Amino acid sequence: MVSIRTVNLTKVFGDVVAVDHVSLEIRHGEFFTLLGPSGCGKTTFLRTIAGLEMADEGRIYFDDQDITDMPAHLRGTGMVFQNYALWPHMNVFDNIAYGLKIRKVPKEEIRRRVKEVLKLVKLEGMENRTPHQLSGGQQQRVALARALVINPRVLLFDEPLSNLDAKLRIEMRAELRRLQRELGITAIYVTHDQEEAMSISDRIAVMNKGRIMQIGTPKEIYKNPRNEFVARFIGQGTFIPGEVVSSGEELEVRLESGKVVKAVPSHPDVRLEAGDKALIMIRPESFTLEPGRGYNEFEVEVYHISFLGDSQMLQASNEVENFIIEVDPDLEISVGQKLKVYAPPKHTLAIKL
Amino acid sequence: MGQAAGLSKLLRKIRWEMDAFSWSQLIIVLASFTAFLIVPLGLVIVRSFYSSSGGFSLYWLQTILTDPFYFPLRLKLLNQFPFISLEGIRGSLYEVVKYQTASGEETIVLLTGWDMGVIPNSLVVATFTTLFSTVLGFTLAFIFAKYKFPGSEALRIVSLIPLLSTPFVGAIGLKKMIVADGVLNVLFYDMLHLLPFKIEITGLPAVILVQTLLFYPIVMLNSYTALISVDPTLEEQAINMGASGFRLFRTVTLPLATPGIEAGALLVFILSLEDLGTPIVFKGTTAEKVLTFQIFNRIFTPAGLISQEATTLAMILLVISGLVFVGVRRYVSLKKYAMLSKGGTWRPKRKKLSPAVTLLVYLFILGVLFFATLPHIGVTLLAFAKQWGPTLLPSSFTLDNFIAVLSDREASRCIMNSLVYSSIATLFMVVLGVSAAYLVSRKKSLPGIEALDLLVTIPIAVPGIAVATGLFLTYLGTPLSPTISGAPLLIASYTVRKIPFTVRSVFSGLEQTDKTLDEVAWTVGASKTRTFFSIVMPMILLNVLAGGMLSFIYSMSEVSTGIVVGDANHRDAPMTWKMYDMLFHGLAGGTFQPAALGFLLMTLQFIFIVGANLLLRKRATALIGV
Ligand SMILES: Nc1ncnc2c1ncn2[C@@H]1O[C@H](COP(=O)(O)OP(=O)(O)O)[C@@H](O)[C@H]1O
Ligand SMILES: [Mg+2]
Repeated sequence: MVSIRTVNLTKVFGDVVAVDHVSLEIRHGEFFTLLGPSGCGKTTFLRTIAGLEMADEGRIYFDDQDITDMPAHLRGTGMVFQNYALWPHMNVFDNIAYGLKIRKVPKEEIRRRVKEVLKLVKLEGMENRTPHQLSGGQQQRVALARALVINPRVLLFDEPLSNLDAKLRIEMRAELRRLQRELGITAIYVTHDQEEAMSISDRIAVMNKGRIMQIGTPKEIYKNPRNEFVARFIGQGTFIPGEVVSSGEELEVRLESGKVVKAVPSHPDVRLEAGDKALIMIRPESFTLEPGRGYNEFEVEVYHISFLGDSQMLQASNEVENFIIEVDPDLEISVGQKLKVYAPPKHTLAIKL
Repeated sequence: MGQAAGLSKLLRKIRWEMDAFSWSQLIIVLASFTAFLIVPLGLVIVRSFYSSSGGFSLYWLQTILTDPFYFPLRLKLLNQFPFISLEGIRGSLYEVVKYQTASGEETIVLLTGWDMGVIPNSLVVATFTTLFSTVLGFTLAFIFAKYKFPGSEALRIVSLIPLLSTPFVGAIGLKKMIVADGVLNVLFYDMLHLLPFKIEITGLPAVILVQTLLFYPIVMLNSYTALISVDPTLEEQAINMGASGFRLFRTVTLPLATPGIEAGALLVFILSLEDLGTPIVFKGTTAEKVLTFQIFNRIFTPAGLISQEATTLAMILLVISGLVFVGVRRYVSLKKYAMLSKGGTWRPKRKKLSPAVTLLVYLFILGVLFFATLPHIGVTLLAFAKQWGPTLLPSSFTLDNFIAVLSDREASRCIMNSLVYSSIATLFMVVLGVSAAYLVSRKKSLPGIEALDLLVTIPIAVPGIAVATGLFLTYLGTPLSPTISGAPLLIASYTVRKIPFTVRSVFSGLEQTDKTLDEVAWTVGASKTRTFFSIVMPMILLNVLAGGMLSFIYSMSEVSTGIVVGDANHRDAPMTWKMYDMLFHGLAGGTFQPAALGFLLMTLQFIFIVGANLLLRKRATALIGV
């Protein structure tokens, strides 16, 4: 178990800066997720940590050891690749045992440890299968077992669940998290699926175009996005551009429609002054149907309803702006209906543009 | 400053990618190629500009270009229309010879071809061979790619048969067919009376015929691959826009397939230019007057030294093929592409033909196949013939030729030599070829790695006789001298000349195995070296085996170096030299015994090529592309 620190880590492919001066710190035993759209440099970051790509700039530390120029095979990382990368010419046992054989572990112990790890990933008795006799989920578990069996200092996951069907994906998520917690191994997990990231991580780094946009717990990232990219990438929301008219603890923002709303900065670090352009974001569940305060109220007409079982999502508009509003599933409502909704100032976030 | 930073980054990159093992792989490849290809070829070029006193001189180049034997063509100004004329062409396309026989007067038309001097002859032969091979190869490819008729797949495979033998062996077989009292005249003049006179094809036209019949499958394979890779929707679009028939062919199909056709054609040009086997078989006619034969004929001076004249000729040959190679580079990238996209070809829509057209197509294909299989049928019949006069088939058959060859001490020693040299060379080719292919496939990000790729592919375009000349220039008088033992230079020559087959096969295997399979091994603690042996090698074993088999068999049938070295040292000569020796210095047996050797070689070649392709099955297409 290690802590991992990168300082200005940069990787360039030709004209593309795949990883752009990334500095971050991952704590002992933490489950840390890199989240971002496809092509933003997540895989490249992970590969650089594993030593599969050479860092063009910056340093990587495992605890206090600088491993930037250390060859991959000495780093003690266990990596699970997106395509599992099981060796087709070896059976399950040999795939898993390979790393132990490299370490000259005695035969008996190899057999014992492979058995153990197979039990851990719930693949008892599958030793003699070849990779192509396994289902996608099983292959995924073998890949995981192969990474786990060497007691890695850090586990690296590159979208390990993206090739599984939805139901299995959700099961495996919990499973992965349980294993990581039990074994106490520091893990870096890469995904483009924000829901997956939210449900599995201790902390998330949201990445865009090679840069880190924000690091925080799932809750922080959801509740206090630092910038527009994070706000739009995570979850849903109503977005309305405007301009700050007065600053302070509570801001006043004039929307393009001329209406002025009360809001708070989206993140404690965000400083907004009068005259700044800002983007108002309101999460669907922040709206209430209890108007009457005379401010932060919007009159909208519902044009689409999605019934989700535990809630209903309304899409609505007031000619200028579009709204996404979550309401109680029992509420009787129909398309075309007019509503007056209220967004409390503390949930009306002003994002700096 | 920026440069220094760039340099240090480059060094860091190199250190990152290259461990001790990769370095040793790189070094053995570079060292072998430097010693046995680059330095020898360099010497060929340098030495042709030496004067007898040792300094730089254009003497030999000048002598050759002004010698009417090599380059007789002169432009002459006239004072009347057309004011200019080309002089120096000797002979005529054909001669008519009449003679009396018991049954009356007979006429033979001797197709001898013009003689324009050695250098133009080589180019003319290569040009015509390329032209004919391309027309023939492309037509067949087009028929097979675009039309559906019963048996088309079988016929397509049969038409690849010529790939299974070298021109040297094929020429022996074909010669028996095309001489005055040969099989074709017996068939078409004596028996079927389809010809008003006998035709004998000899000299340069015979060389062109042999080469065309043996090389057209190269164009055919390349064109076929190109044609079936053409996205059918492109053609459909063109049809929707109103194109049809010849217009569709000219404006859509042909341009899309052109790179493939071009690649095959350029390769044929070089193979024709560097072919020594065919001219040797037609020794004694104008077929001798081509570059390869002249180099071979003159390489040794009576004093046992390398002739400067031959060296300069080799330089000229090298330069010509070098120029052509600039075009052939396309072939290489195309081939890579073809290997990568295995199974990625379109399921082409094949049109059905009307019965009448089908009949025509059959006639055409069967006609081609009749001629294309003549060399092989010829060798086979000769190998089993006891006596063969002016008749369609040998008058009696026997196994004596084989028994004679195998019990002849010298012949069996030559067979042994070939087997041993080729086996050892194959070991080298596997080690070097796997190393080179691994570096090229897995270290793409290293600057300059394409140069390595070029180095191990270029031997396809280097004339064997030039390599032979260079090897002699470099190693005569050293411990590797062929006069001491023929083995070192033959093994070296086989290794550098035939390595592309191994490299290409292994490279395609590597490209088909995901690099993450290597990487995951590193992450669990295996060094790159260890990963290479325990992960990479087992996964590409079949490709290594298949590539090795091809390299082996093409070493067995190597002609240029084999004959030159064999001439210098009979004791260590390979099988191909023995065939040559028997053809021209043999006692009884005439062509029967060399044909028996040729038949053995052809059979081996058949087994190995088919075997290699079966091994790889669908893993690689068109591996026999050369
Ligand atoms: N080996 C490579 N060569 C060139 N470009 C690459 C290479 N690997 C990744 N890239 C580029 O770097 C960027 C980041 O890629 P990647 O790390 O795979 O993104 P992600 O995993 O977030 O989808 C992309 O623009 C991609 O095209
Ligand atoms: Mg990725």
